[in-house]
Amino acid sequence: MNDMRIIQRTAGMNDIKIHAKGVDVFYGDNHAIKDVSVDIEDKTVTAFIGPSGCGKSTFLRCLNRMNDTIDICRVTGDIRLDDEDIYDKAVDPVQLRAKVGMVFQKPNPFPKSIYDNVAYGPRIHGLARNKADLDEIVEKSLRRGAIWDEVKDRLDAPGTGLSGGQQQRLCIARAVATAPEVLLMDEPCSALDPIATAQVEELIDELRQNYSVVIVTHSMQQAARVSQKTAFFHLGDLVEYGETGKIFTNPDDSRTESYITGRIG
Amino acid sequence: MIDPHIASAFDRDLEAIQAMLMKMGGLVEASILNGAEALERRDLEMAEAVRAGDKAIDRLEEQVNEEATRVIALRAPTASDLRTVMTVIKISANLERCGDYAKNMAKRTTVLAETPPVGSASVSIRKLAREVQMMLKDALDSYIQRDADLAQQVIERDEDVDQLYNALFRELLTHMMEDPRNITPCMHLHFVAKNCERMGDHVTSIAEQVIYLVTGEMPDDARNKQDETPFMTDEG
Repeated sequence: MNDMRIIQRTAGMNDIKIHAKGVDVFYGDNHAIKDVSVDIEDKTVTAFIGPSGCGKSTFLRCLNRMNDTIDICRVTGDIRLDDEDIYDKAVDPVQLRAKVGMVFQKPNPFPKSIYDNVAYGPRIHGLARNKADLDEIVEKSLRRGAIWDEVKDRLDAPGTGLSGGQQQRLCIARAVATAPEVLLMDEPCSALDPIATAQVEELIDELRQNYSVVIVTHSMQQAARVSQKTAFFHLGDLVEYGETGKIFTNPDDSRTESYITGRIG
Repeated sequence: MIDPHIASAFDRDLEAIQAMLMKMGGLVEASILNGAEALERRDLEMAEAVRAGDKAIDRLEEQVNEEATRVIALRAPTASDLRTVMTVIKISANLERCGDYAKNMAKRTTVLAETPPVGSASVSIRKLAREVQMMLKDALDSYIQRDADLAQQVIERDEDVDQLYNALFRELLTHMMEDPRNITPCMHLHFVAKNCERMGDHVTSIAEQVIYLVTGEMPDDARNKQDETPFMTDEG
C-alpha cells in the first residue's frame, strides 16, 4: 500500500475482458467505425465519450452484436470476449447477450409485473430450477439494482408504474438477472433527474465489483465520476483511450482536450 | 493559442482571473523594487508606501481565490482549463508571500534608517532584490506566453540568487565580528537578504507551476540547492 492517493487508481490492474482489434463498422456506404482497437478491463467501468455521431454507441452495440439487428450494418475485425470470438458462426447471439447485458437510454420495462420483468431472462435461459430459485434470483437482482427496498412489497405491480429512475434501476436489475459478465449502458441516465442519476451512478460503482461495465454518456462529468477508463471517439476514430483521471487532467491528444474542455475542435 | 470555448463566458471568466493574477504580479514586482530602493536610499516615505501597498496585493489574492472557486463550482473545468485554475490559485499564494516579504523589508527599513550604514550591504541587497524581480517578471511572462522553456530558465536562475545571498551572509557575518555595534543592523539586513532569497524560492515555485500548466507534469528534479549557509560557521 504505497499508493496513498485519494482516488484509487485501479485502472490497468485487471484482466482484459474484451479484446477488440481492427474493428470497422459500415452502415451501407457510411464508414461509422474506423479500425478501432481497444482492450476493456474486467471489474472496471469504461466510459465512451464523444460528440453525437462519433460512433460510440455503434461501437458499444458491436460488443453484444446488437448491430446484427440492423440489416445494412456490417461489422469487420476481431472482438473477443474472454478470448472467444463473439462473431464466430458458432456463437448464439441470444446466449451472448445473456453474458453481455445491456441497459438503454430510455427505461424500457416490459408491460409486466416488476417480478416478471426480472424473472423473464432467467426463465428463458433456464437459470432457475424451481420457483424458490427464481424468487431468489429476482430478489438478488433487485437488490443489485438498488431498488429492492422500494418494490419488495409490490412485486406484482406493473413495472411501468414506477418512476423513471426506479424503472431504470429495474431495467438494470433485469439486465443483471441473467448473471452477465459485462454490462453495456447506453446513456442510462439521460432521462433521469439528478437524484435518480446519482443512485444509478452509485449502483454502477457497486456493479464494478462483479462486472465489467461499459457506459456511453454525453455527460463528461458522469464519465469522470463513474469510470476508471475513458475512451474518446471522434468521427469514427478512437482518438484516445486511457485512465480517466489522466484524460480529464492532461489528455495527450488535442482533439480530446478540445472536446472535454468544451472548445470548438 | 488554443481555440475559444463554445461557452464564451467561460473564456471571459478565465481571462478575468488571469488578469487579476497579472495585476497582482505587477504590484509585487513594484513592491520588491521599491522596497529595496527605499532600503538603500533610507527613504521612509517610500518604505511606508510599500507597507501600505501590501493590502492591495492581499485583497487581490482573496479575489483570485474566490473567482477560481466559483469557476470550479460552476464550470467544472477539465484538462488545461483545470490546470489553469489550479495554477492560478497556487501562483497567487506565492505572489502573496512575496508581497509579505517586500512589506517586511519596508518595515525593517524604518529601523535600519536609524542605525549607521553597514558597508555596502544595502547596495548588495538591492542587487539581490533586482535579480529576484527580474526572475519574477520572466516567470510571469512565461505564464502569459505558456513558455515552459523560459520557466525552466527562471528555475535555473534561482542559483544566482542563492549565491548572492550566500555572499551577503558572509559579508554581514564579517561586519558583526568586526564590531558588535553592527549586530542590530546586520541582523535586520540579514532578514531582508533571507527574505529576498525566499522570494526567489517562491518565484521558482511559480515557474514550476508554469511548467505544470504547459506540460501537465511537474518538473521532476528540483535543482541542487546552492544555499550553503545552514552549514556555515564563523570560520566562514
